[in-house]
Formats: sequence, structure tokens, C-alpha cells
Amino acid sequence: MRSLLILNTIDNIAVALADLESGSIIEQDGLQIEVLNQIPRGHKIATKPISKNEGVIKYGERMGHATSDIKVGEHVHTHNVLGDRLSAEQVK
Amino acid sequence: MSKSLTGYPRADGRVGFRNQVLVMPLHSALCATARRISEESAAVAITHDWSGEIDADFARIFKVMTGFAANPNIFATIFLTLGTPGELEIIDKSKSIGLSNSTIVNVSEIGSMELLYEIALKEAISYLALADQVARVSVPWSSLHLGLECGGSDALSGITANPALGVASDMLVELGAVSVLGETTEILGAEHLLAARALDPNVGKQIIETVARYERSINYEGIDMRGAQPSRGNIEGGLTTLEEKSLGAAKKAGSAPFTGVLEYADPAPKPGLYFMDTPGHDIEQLTGFAAAGINIVVFTSGRGTPTGSAVVPTIKVSTNTQMALSIPDLIDLNAGTIADGTQTLREVGELIFNEIVDVANGKLTAAELGRHQEFSLSRMYGTQIN
Repeated sequence: MRSLLILNTIDNIAVALADLESGSIIEQDGLQIEVLNQIPRGHKIATKPISKNEGVIKYGERMGHATSDIKVGEHVHTHNVLGDRLSAEQVK
Repeated sequence: MSKSLTGYPRADGRVGFRNQVLVMPLHSALCATARRISEESAAVAITHDWSGEIDADFARIFKVMTGFAANPNIFATIFLTLGTPGELEIIDKSKSIGLSNSTIVNVSEIGSMELLYEIALKEAISYLALADQVARVSVPWSSLHLGLECGGSDALSGITANPALGVASDMLVELGAVSVLGETTEILGAEHLLAARALDPNVGKQIIETVARYERSINYEGIDMRGAQPSRGNIEGGLTTLEEKSLGAAKKAGSAPFTGVLEYADPAPKPGLYFMDTPGHDIEQLTGFAAAGINIVVFTSGRGTPTGSAVVPTIKVSTNTQMALSIPDLIDLNAGTIADGTQTLREVGELIFNEIVDVANGKLTAAELGRHQEFSLSRMYGTQIN
């Protein structure tokens, strides 16, 4: 059973197909990733390093930007990503 | 694709895949009576909170009430009225859209709520007997108007059920059917991708403009969308941003070109794939689809949503296997097998296509068996961001 789903080769995240344990190592599709947090099924994990303000790419498209530097293996979610559209910084 | 469709052609050329008798109260005070009739018979009913107000939302409410009462899945509509001129306008408009069998039961003339119930129930029973005598006939693919909806999305929605529904939608559009994607909130951030698929550059511009109009209205209201979209349930499911949800939601529309853009509750004028400007609220969207003459809906859900319509069969597709197993009587098909690795996207897409055809031909959905008959009037204030 594969534990990650990579939707597009240019993506910098993958979707967890199972709950990922912190500290576990995932080897798949030529990647070797150490999981840095507990990541629930359906949530995203960084497959490439993402710098603060850099785009988060899923389906080959930009889905928002990082609000802090994100390491490979880190949980990618609302604590470190913000949408580019209709988020608080845009609404005055 | 050797499958074929059978249905009930209506006098105006549209086609129903059900032969429902609808009890339609035209005032909130008559809704309890309508509900009672639907519990005592095989008639369906709606309830709502509209009491005939002519306010800024009236044009929107009028369009929904008239279009809904005239949905082609209806054999006959029984209107419960207080006897006001406004009610007659709704009934006349429904007839001009295509409603052929209707009766008005007016409580002011009858002078008794109990008699209103008894007379309307008798009308329902006699229409139901007539409806039962009508046989299905073979109908063309162009008679199928499919609505594409999702609710309670999770991170698997955009990977399993939505793209599988996109496969089924593409197959139907190829055969000459209508397919309609809704939910303006849920294409925000993906509109450039949809616009690039427009058959005509003006349609692409309309898609962009529809989203921009929505975005301006939200910014004008000073609303921080992060509280509503993605919803708390979406975030628990793993969706982080509105754009991410939109990229996944748009997968329901497959890869066919867009023929046009529809205002809320407006019917598609010819075959093809459309985008309709609807609220993200599940029941308001479903009601708008029904009012536009859509006769089958496929609804994908990650967290389970029991929503169904009184007049439009609503097929539920689960995005994950756990959901399909946890509340099996909510779900018609499981697309979670794509993430489990036991079925391919194409295989599940074909299963959804076959299910649409079977349901059109009379197979009852989980929502129909559960007698889900939700209805909600969309107003421009208060519900627009949900």
C-alpha cells in the first residue's frame, strides 16, 4: 500500500493516503522522506523544501503560499500556509 | 456505452426521469399541511420560510419557486395557497415554463386547515394514480440535465470522487447531454483553468467575471472568508486553502469544453457543459439546480451529507471507503477505492456513468429511499458565503 499520493511532478507536497507516524521513513517514487510530524490521512506533507512566501503547488497549480519556511517531511496545513485569495490580509 | 435512457417526455419537449406529484405551499403557513400530505401518500412536498414578502430577493425567490414547481421530473403540482394575486403569478409562470398538470387548493375559499389537508390529499392521490399509468419511453441523451455537486469535502474529494465524476460528466457531454457545475465559492482560485476551456472567449470572460463579481461582493462586505471556506470540517479533512478546495472541486467538470455560463436557477439552452453561479450552500445549490430543470444530480461527499431533493434524484458518491462503510444508507457509490488502490479513476468514472443511467431509468437513490426532500431559498444576504 502506497502511503503518499503525488498528483503532479512539479508539486512540492504530497497527500497522505494513511496516517503518517512522526519519525517514520517513507520510500516511494524515488523519494526518501523522514516524516517530521504526525500527519493524518488526507493531509499534506512537504516533498520539497518550501521557503516563506513561496507558492505551495498541488495538481501542478498554486494553492496558496507558505507563511514560514517548511522542511521536507513537515505537515503542510493552515499553521504554515495561507491562501492567496480572500484571506484576512486582503480583506480591509 | 450500450446503455440507453427511458423517461417521461413533457408537452414542452423536456423529459422527466421521475413522475412525481409535488405539493407546493406558496406561503410558510401552509408548509405543515404540505408535509403532512407527503407523509400520508407517495406525493413529495417542500417546506420553506417565505411568506410572500416582496423584498430585494423577490426576483430570485420567484425564479426558484416557479422553476422548481415546473421541474420536468414532476407529473403534477398541487399548489396550496392563501388566495393572493402574487401566488397566481407564480402558478401562471410555472405553467408557462412547462408545468402541464396542476391544481390550486385555496385555504381562504375552503375556510378550514383540516379541509385544506383533506382536499389536497385527495387531489394528490388521484394524480398519483394517473401518474402510475404513464409508461416510460425511450428518450435521447439530450434530455439528461446533470447537476454536479459536492459537499462535506475532504482532501480525497479532489483525488477520488470529483475526478471520477468528471469522467462520467465527460462521457455524458460527449453523448449530447447537459452537465452543470455550480458553486462559485468553489471555483475561486481555479477559474483561470475553467476559463481556458471555454468554447468561446466570451464564455471564458464570463467565468472570470462571475468569480470577480462574487469576490468583490465578499470584499465589500468585509468578510474574512477563512472562517467559512474551507469550512472547519474541510480543514479537519486536510484541505488548507480555498484555492486548494476549488482545484479539487472543479475536477467534477472533467475536461470537456465549457459551452456557457448560467445565472442561478436558469436552464441550459442546449447540450454541453455549463458553469452556474450558485451559492456554495448544498441545499440552495440543489434547489437552484432543480429550478433550472436539472433532472439528475450527482453529489460527492467526504464527510457524509444526507441532502436530497423532493424532485431531483441525488446520487451520493463517497470520496473515501471509511465514509461509505460508516453510514452505508447515505451512499450510493464508493470512489474511495481509487485511493485504496483497488480501482482506477476510469473504472469508478464508468460506474458513476452507469449509476446515472440506472437512476434515470428508475433505480431509487439512497436519498430517495430516505425520503430526503430538502429545499432552501437562496437570499443574497446572509447565506451567500456559506
